[in-house]
Amino acid sequence: MKLVDISDLNVSFSQHEGVVQAVRGVSLHLNEGESLGIVGESGSGKSVTCMAVLRLLREPPARITARRLDLEGTDVLTASPATLSALRGRVAAMIFQDPMTAFDPVFTIGHQIIETIRVHRRTGKAAARAEAGELLRMVEIKNATDVLAYYPHQLSGGMLQRAMIAMALSCRPRILIADEPTTALDVTIQAQILQLIKRLQAEMGMGLIMVTHDLGVVAETVDRVVVMYGGKVMEQGPVQEIFDDAKHPYTRALLGSMPGQTVGRQRLTEIKGASPNPVYPPTGCPFHPRCPEVEPRCARSMPEFSDLGADRQAACWRLQ
Amino acid sequence: MIAYILRRLVSISVTFFIVSVLVFLMMHAIPGGPFDAQDMPLSEAVRDKLMARLGLDKPLHVQYLSYMAGVLQGDWGVPYQSPGETVIELLARAWPPSLILGGLGVLIGVPLGILLGMAAALKRNTWIDYLASAIATLGLTVPVFVISMLLILVFAVWLNWLPASGWGEPKRWILPIIAYAAIPLATYARYTRSAMLDSLNKPFVTVLRAKGLSERRIIFQHVLRNSAIPMVTVFLPMFIGTATGSIFVEAMFRVPGLGSYFVSSITTRDYPLEMALILMITLMFSGAYLISDILYAWLNPRIRIGGRE
Repeated sequence: MKLVDISDLNVSFSQHEGVVQAVRGVSLHLNEGESLGIVGESGSGKSVTCMAVLRLLREPPARITARRLDLEGTDVLTASPATLSALRGRVAAMIFQDPMTAFDPVFTIGHQIIETIRVHRRTGKAAARAEAGELLRMVEIKNATDVLAYYPHQLSGGMLQRAMIAMALSCRPRILIADEPTTALDVTIQAQILQLIKRLQAEMGMGLIMVTHDLGVVAETVDRVVVMYGGKVMEQGPVQEIFDDAKHPYTRALLGSMPGQTVGRQRLTEIKGASPNPVYPPTGCPFHPRCPEVEPRCARSMPEFSDLGADRQAACWRLQ
Repeated sequence: MIAYILRRLVSISVTFFIVSVLVFLMMHAIPGGPFDAQDMPLSEAVRDKLMARLGLDKPLHVQYLSYMAGVLQGDWGVPYQSPGETVIELLARAWPPSLILGGLGVLIGVPLGILLGMAAALKRNTWIDYLASAIATLGLTVPVFVISMLLILVFAVWLNWLPASGWGEPKRWILPIIAYAAIPLATYARYTRSAMLDSLNKPFVTVLRAKGLSERRIIFQHVLRNSAIPMVTVFLPMFIGTATGSIFVEAMFRVPGLGSYFVSSITTRDYPLEMALILMITLMFSGAYLISDILYAWLNPRIRIGGRE
C-alpha cells in the first residue's frame, strides 16, 4: 500500500486580494520505506501540499479538494477530527522549519514529548518519561535527562530541531514529513540534522517526505524527487536521473542555479523573472513566462505528463 | 526568590514614604481649611482654637512628623467629617460594602469576560465574535451611572423584581454588583480575545495539531496558559480599583460604601481621612503588583525573578 497517495490535489486560500491558488492539480505518492524530496522555490506549493496531507491548514480560509488524498489508506478529506488526531503523530509525523517557535514556550521539552507519547498510547507517566529520555539520546542529545527539564528558550536551534525530531518520532510513525528542516539552522548544523534524519529513517523503516528549496539537501537525503513550480508538478523521478539528465527546462534552470556542480570557478546562472502571481497564475504552463525554450503553445495550455521510463515523468510540450 | 521579595518590600516602603510626603504637601497646598464654611462661619477665636487642638497651627513638617509617628503606631487619627469615630473605625464600617460589591463584581465579571473573549476568539468573524465585541465595547464606553440607571429602570421600576437601592439583605446587592461587573467583564472580554488570537496564531499550535492533540486539549492546556500571561497582569490592579468602591455605583444605588469618601475627604479638607485612603490604596497597589510579578514568573518560565539565572 502507498503511504501517501495524492491525486489531483487543489488548495486555494480566500484572501482580500482574491483567491490564492497555492496548489493546482498535484498528484504524487510515497511508497513504503521510500524517501521523497519535494523541491521548488517559495510559493511553489510544496509546503502547502504537505500541510494539506495532514489537514493542518485552517479551513477556511483554505479550501482543499482532491480526487484522492490518502494517508496509509485512510481518506483524510472525509476523516473526522478524531480520526485525524489519531493519524497525526502516529501514522504521519511532521517536523517544521523553525524549531525556535515550534515548542510551547511555557512547558518543558520533556513535558511536550511525554504529552505526545501519552496522547497516542496508554503509558504511565514514569514510563513515558523514560521513553522521552531514550528518544533524546536517539537524536544524539548527550545530557538527555537534563534536557527533559529544560524549557525551549534554554536550548539552541540545533538542539531544538533534534528535540523536535525526537518528539515527531515518539510514536514510531510510518511517515515523516520534514518541511524545510534545516533552513533555519546554521550551515554547520544542517548536515548533522540531515544525517540524523537519514539514519533514523533507515533504522525505523519510515517513509520520508523532505520538502526543501535546496537541491543539495535533496541530493543527500532522498531516493526520488518531485519538482514543483507555481502550484504544479513539473517533473518527477529518481534523484540520480534528475540530476544527470533533467528533462524539464525548469529543473535544468534550477540545477544551473545551484553552486558546486562542477569543479573550479564557474558563474551561477539565475532564473530570469519572478515567481508567478498565485492569484492570477499564468495561463498554460506556469513556467512559460520565464522559460528559455518557450513556444506559443506553452501559454495556451498545460501539457500532460510524458512517461520517460520507470517512475519518471515530466510535463513539457517539448517532450510530447 | 525570598531576597527578591524582601528587596521589593523595601522599595514598597520607600514608595510609601514618598507618596505620603507628596500627598501631605499637595493636600495642604489646596487653599482653605476644614473650618472655612461659608454659610455658617465660625468666629475667628473658635476656629483658631479648633485648629490649635488638631495641631493644624504648627509648621507643616511638624504636622507631618507627628502624623506619621501616629500612623506607625496604628493611630490614623479622627476624620473631621465624622468626629465620633476614628479613621480606622470609619474604614471598618464603610469598606465592607464596597469590598463585597466590588469583589463580587470582579469575581463575576472576569470569568464571564474570559468566557466571552474565548468564544469570540474561537469563533472569530462570526456573529458570536461580533456580539461579544459589541458587549465589550458597550461595557467600556457606556458610563457606569447610565448602566446603573438602566438597571434600576428595568429591574426595579418596570419589572419590580429587585429593590432599587439600599444596603442590607443580599437581594439589594444584585443590581450594584451587575453595574460593578460591567467594566471587568468588558476589559477581560477584550483582553482574552486578543491574547487568545495571538496565541492561536503561534507556530507551536500547528506543531501541537501535527502531534495529534485534540483541538480542545490544545486550547485548554496550551493556548489558555500562554494567553494567561497578559491577563494576569491586569487582574489584581483592577480588583483593587473596583474593591475600593465606585463613587458612581454607590451613589446610584445609595450604598454606604467607601467611594464617596474619596471625594468628600478632599472637598471638606478632611486631612486624616484623605491621607488614610490614599496611603491604603498605595499599599494595596504595591502589594498587587508584587503578587502579579510573582505570578507572572510562575506562568512564564522565560522570566526569572531577581534578574539572575
